[in-house]
Amino acid sequence: MVITNTTSIKYLKTIGIVNNGFNGRGFANPYDVAIGPGDNIFVLNRCDPARRNAIRVGVCNLDEEYLYEFGYGFGDGDGQMMLPVAMAFDAEGRLLITDEHTNRITIYSDEGEVLGKWGQKGESEGEFNGPAGIATDSSGTVYICDQRNHRVQKYTADGMFLTQWGSQGTGPGEFNLPWGLGLDAEDNVYVADWRNDRVQKFDSNGHHLKTIGDSGVKQEQLIRPSAVSIDQSGNVYVADWGNERLQVFNSEGKVIASLRGEATLSDWAKDFFESNPDEMETREISDLNPDVPDHLNDPYHISSQTEPFFWGPVSVRIDDNNRLYVVESNRHRIQIYEIE
Amino acid sequence: MSQDVSLMAHLMRRAGFGATRNELDEYLSDGYEATVDKLLDPGESDHMPDDLIRRYHVDQSELRQLDGAGAYWLYRMLTTSNPLEEKLALFWHGLFATGYAKLNQARALLNQIDMFRKYGFGSFRDLLVELSRDPAMILWLDNNENHKEAINENYGRELLELFSMGIGNYSEDDIKECAKAFTGWTLKNAEYMSVRASKDSIWPYGRIAWHYEYRADDHDSGEKKFLGEVGNFNGEDIVDIIVTQKPTARFLSTRLFQYFASDEVDDDGVQVIKAMMDSYFESGFKVSAVLRTLFNSDYFKSEKCRYSRVKGPVESVVGTARLAGSYQEPTLDVHSLWAQTMFMGQGLLAPPTVEGWHEGVEWIDSGSLVERINFAAKELSDPAKEGVQDIIRRVTAGYIDLIHAENLVDSCLDFMGPIQVGADTREGLIEFAESQGKLHLKNGKTDEDGSAQVARLIGMIASTREYQLA
Repeated sequence: MVITNTTSIKYLKTIGIVNNGFNGRGFANPYDVAIGPGDNIFVLNRCDPARRNAIRVGVCNLDEEYLYEFGYGFGDGDGQMMLPVAMAFDAEGRLLITDEHTNRITIYSDEGEVLGKWGQKGESEGEFNGPAGIATDSSGTVYICDQRNHRVQKYTADGMFLTQWGSQGTGPGEFNLPWGLGLDAEDNVYVADWRNDRVQKFDSNGHHLKTIGDSGVKQEQLIRPSAVSIDQSGNVYVADWGNERLQVFNSEGKVIASLRGEATLSDWAKDFFESNPDEMETREISDLNPDVPDHLNDPYHISSQTEPFFWGPVSVRIDDNNRLYVVESNRHRIQIYEIE
Repeated sequence: MSQDVSLMAHLMRRAGFGATRNELDEYLSDGYEATVDKLLDPGESDHMPDDLIRRYHVDQSELRQLDGAGAYWLYRMLTTSNPLEEKLALFWHGLFATGYAKLNQARALLNQIDMFRKYGFGSFRDLLVELSRDPAMILWLDNNENHKEAINENYGRELLELFSMGIGNYSEDDIKECAKAFTGWTLKNAEYMSVRASKDSIWPYGRIAWHYEYRADDHDSGEKKFLGEVGNFNGEDIVDIIVTQKPTARFLSTRLFQYFASDEVDDDGVQVIKAMMDSYFESGFKVSAVLRTLFNSDYFKSEKCRYSRVKGPVESVVGTARLAGSYQEPTLDVHSLWAQTMFMGQGLLAPPTVEGWHEGVEWIDSGSLVERINFAAKELSDPAKEGVQDIIRRVTAGYIDLIHAENLVDSCLDFMGPIQVGADTREGLIEFAESQGKLHLKNGKTDEDGSAQVARLIGMIASTREYQLA
């Protein structure tokens, strides 16, 4: 448990196991999570190239019941995906998914029916070059990071272009390959300005308000932040992807917590070991939190050898019940925390 | 054709993956020997950044499987500013062949390649010590099963036979003593990792990467007699003895000669190898000193040495893609590039056995030759590729409205290498160029059809016998 003056962040559980195909519970390189109707947990599985036909959204609940999944295979046909990045439910309960290869936003029902799509490759209004993070506000307005155009675009719920801001650069209001995006209660927009190693805060019309973090490994620093989410108190949760950690900033931009991850076995993982006692026996005599030698002593390598730690944290989301979800692409799981 | 350009192109085919004309011009401005020095002491390389690769390719971030790991290394080869660093790592990968099939641990293999980058130019002693500590090698040759109370000779045997001295230079007793010295050299959580590797288990949360662990309580610290010397040797002591042996110097120099100079060793080659052995001892076993002697030798620079090696599949794929200017940023189909190396007989990170690949003319059979030609022709006949466009610009520079077939062929051969071809090949290429019709220019430039016409000729040159040779 991490406790600050005003906030405690308590580890709750881990959900996940590797699953390469359309055959039930498990995830394949999950890239984002969205909490939908009935507090069900929707997980976007990006999949690796060899298993790309199983690109899908899997749906489970907090009790680790795997409910259903949907996907239409790899491709640019209706409903299909190639390199999906992020997703968000809109005010009408529709699920919007970005795809950085097809340059498209596809709208699905919560059961996977394809309801619509928009976007094509380009630099003009309504066009994308690598749409990435996505968030929606209570009125249905949609905000999307347009990665390789180094900008944020703002749309109506049905994909009508409203405005945009940003260009490539390092100054305030400029971006370098932005990735994730989150909104606070006032609809201010927080952008994970990935290759500038910072988070930028804007009002809903793109006026720059604040910059959080700079480049590095120290407390107030970030390396390649991938995602950002804001709790009801205004604390900012940043998936510090390059440092393989979660940094929590207060509204003044000071770090109030730093999490490295503490994953435990999911129910699905426990079931696996029941069927594979030889692996469990040798696992029990192992140290899964080892000291690694100097030449591997960087966050990426440490996480690759330390199973409980975050490895490839690509998304962080907070639900209405103050539960925090950290999605780990390289570990095919979600670590869930409670914010109090 | 300038002799300087021709010689520099030869050096870069051997010490790299070939070079574009822009790159050759830069090397030429430094001069031959300075370029050799720079290749051997490259410093930090520029290459496609890891963060861009990892963000785009989830599989190359996780490195759970072989194809992603192979593609990841290919990106480095395709974009590195230090081509010899990768070419030498590829040499070590072939010599100390460690394969995915038994390990099911791609991150460990790439860590081994990183180790080759770090130690590959330096002391052969340090390299062999690091190799003995390498977790992928430990599991590959069962040193995790080499215990104080029950030795496993596999690593000890191959260290002497395949990695340093060569058969006939040590006894069976030396192998046993060598194995005893490496007891206790294992990897962290060896029991769990070994079970996972044997079952190819990715559950529950993907792979767990490896690192070396020394277990003093499992090491045989007793007296050993090895190659005539006696002591309470540990593994490092064994390596210290190995590297001072003349057969080791001959083994290493010969393998480097065959990889970088010529598949066959003739009488002149024997003399070069002797000089390389001298450099080995004089430098304190430094690989860079041995290579410097080779690259600066008259033999290496001679006409006889040129085009005397069959390009390996990885050399062929990387060289062609670099010439075409492909894959300079993360690209969805990079995995097909890795697959090409498999189809051509050299699956990167997947050598068939601990003996590595059979090289030289054995690279070529009817199936792999078709794959090579199809790949090279397709890459280089695409006028949309930046590298191809650059060749076309250079070929047409200086002409106003028309290029005759003969000049077009010679010019393409020049700017693709230069590549020397036999008279028959040149004749055939000229016939092909003539069959395409006259190449007309507008204000010294090709139009779309003209560019496609030149590109087809470039693709045809990539299909020749000579293009398969380095």
